[in-house]
Amino acid sequence: MNDSGILQGRTKGKSTLRVASNDPYSAELTAEQIGIIADIAEKFGSGSVHVTARQTIEIPDIELTSINEIKKLIKNSGLYTGSSGKYIRNVMACSRWCLYNASPLSDLAAQLNRKYQGSELPGKTLISLSGCDFSCTRSRTSDIGVIARTKIKITDKKCKQCSLCVKAPLCCQMDAITITDEGAEIDTERCVRCGFCTKICRPGTIAIDSNSYDIFLGGKGGVKPREADFFKNVKSEDELVKQIDAILAGYIAVADDKERIGDVIDRLGMSALEIKDE
Amino acid sequence: MSDNESEFKLEMPKVGIIKGVLAKDIEVVGGKVVNIRTCARPYKNMYSVAQLRTIKKVIEKYGSGKVHLSPRHNFEIPEVKQKEIENVLKDLYISGLFPGGAGTSVRNIFTCPDWCSKQIRPVQELGERVSFNSGDKDMPNKVAISFAGCSNSCSRPQNADIGITAIGEVGVNDKTCPDDCKECIRSCQFDAMEKHNGTITINDKCTYCCKCVESCPETVLSIKKTGFRITVGGKEGSNVMFGKECALFVDDFEAFEIIEKVLRHYQEKVAFRPGSSKKKERLGEVIERLGLEDFMS
Repeated sequence: MNDSGILQGRTKGKSTLRVASNDPYSAELTAEQIGIIADIAEKFGSGSVHVTARQTIEIPDIELTSINEIKKLIKNSGLYTGSSGKYIRNVMACSRWCLYNASPLSDLAAQLNRKYQGSELPGKTLISLSGCDFSCTRSRTSDIGVIARTKIKITDKKCKQCSLCVKAPLCCQMDAITITDEGAEIDTERCVRCGFCTKICRPGTIAIDSNSYDIFLGGKGGVKPREADFFKNVKSEDELVKQIDAILAGYIAVADDKERIGDVIDRLGMSALEIKDE
Repeated sequence: MSDNESEFKLEMPKVGIIKGVLAKDIEVVGGKVVNIRTCARPYKNMYSVAQLRTIKKVIEKYGSGKVHLSPRHNFEIPEVKQKEIENVLKDLYISGLFPGGAGTSVRNIFTCPDWCSKQIRPVQELGERVSFNSGDKDMPNKVAISFAGCSNSCSRPQNADIGITAIGEVGVNDKTCPDDCKECIRSCQFDAMEKHNGTITINDKCTYCCKCVESCPETVLSIKKTGFRITVGGKEGSNVMFGKECALFVDDFEAFEIIEKVLRHYQEKVAFRPGSSKKKERLGEVIERLGLEDFMS
């Protein structure tokens, strides 16, 4: 058993427990899970919890001696303690219900979270999945950021000029669509491929052409913030998982102690993290 | 109180009710199903057990039995039916939860937790004060204000429109520093620490993050003075911007004044985004257009 998820508190002898969810997926808690967290905070903690910036919940003021009991309590609820230190952090994902999220990443997040849970890496590693370019989960300042892209196409179906796709506030956020007499026109320069318009287009003039994922590497916050660099675009979920595997394997192979992915890229270049041809 | 309950009239909040759908339910785009984003008011960076239980009750009764954790410590209650909004809000209000933190307004203030052992200077009180004064205020575009108690910046102040980070000036004490110890030099990410003949000097590359103090095994280094660094104009999203420094070593009162001033100037100097007639600029874009000095004057 590792000590991941147990953080040093301000009061001596008391620590803070970081709890992340695995089921349904990292960004969601079920009613039952909230109940368990409330019970723990009431019984073992100081009666309040902190919701962190990375979709975990922290329960402060917990005696170290009661941690085993708490772990038993949460065992089969889909919650787990962890996501701290050098152990891989929980995989962040944006909400399932969001309008701009053309291809929800919740299943992928749950899959990745289960796969990497508890593994130890050279340094802190954040994986964030975003369903659109606006990246609420901060894909562009995470070590491994994924942004789902939805390429759109104009089909043969006639545009009825209902203008739903350009009428504020629920419209194309990038002003990439113009409605002319001939139908909808898409400015590919402005389009960020979020795929939102395909959901509001009633006649089906604008439709999904293909889904893909952009991978960004090496972003971080902290003392020395760094914006992530674009790594590559992959076409399918399987390939995305394979790429993330390869990135983490490459990172473990070349990184020094406490070195983040961004530092590795600065030192050795992006090629150190690519899949090696055998 | 129970007598007044029947007269209790609910004002529909301007923000916090977000239209949303599940990807498969295309039919409900008209706004039949909404999501409610809640934050604790008066502002707190912690949720109490009672509030958690309220959320549990609400999502079981009116929602889908699930709640989303947002990256700005809000809870989002998805899939609430339009006609149930009032009931949900009543339940939430009673336990001190309010809808908010959405739309073109000052988003939920984000401070790091007060139990953290790494904090240089507490930020919670300042956060509460700022939230009281300008929380959920109407703005030309989204304004995110983040407070961090140390330079680890868990709340991402560099990427917030207004970021407040606690910093400290490092002082070198008279104590003898062991010759072979290089912990502080190793911990510094900016090459600001120098050691000549057993004495440590700090050069002007220092960014006041105080990592060296944390690493010092003896008590040679200590924090002499604390204050806040204020950065403005950061943003996340499609076009990442890091905030520009506009004040250094300010105290709580000055920080509060500067935040108010920035918000005021933003409302005065904002324009539409180039090529758009719908969306106004974010704070960072205004500052990029005018320059920081012009913006602040």
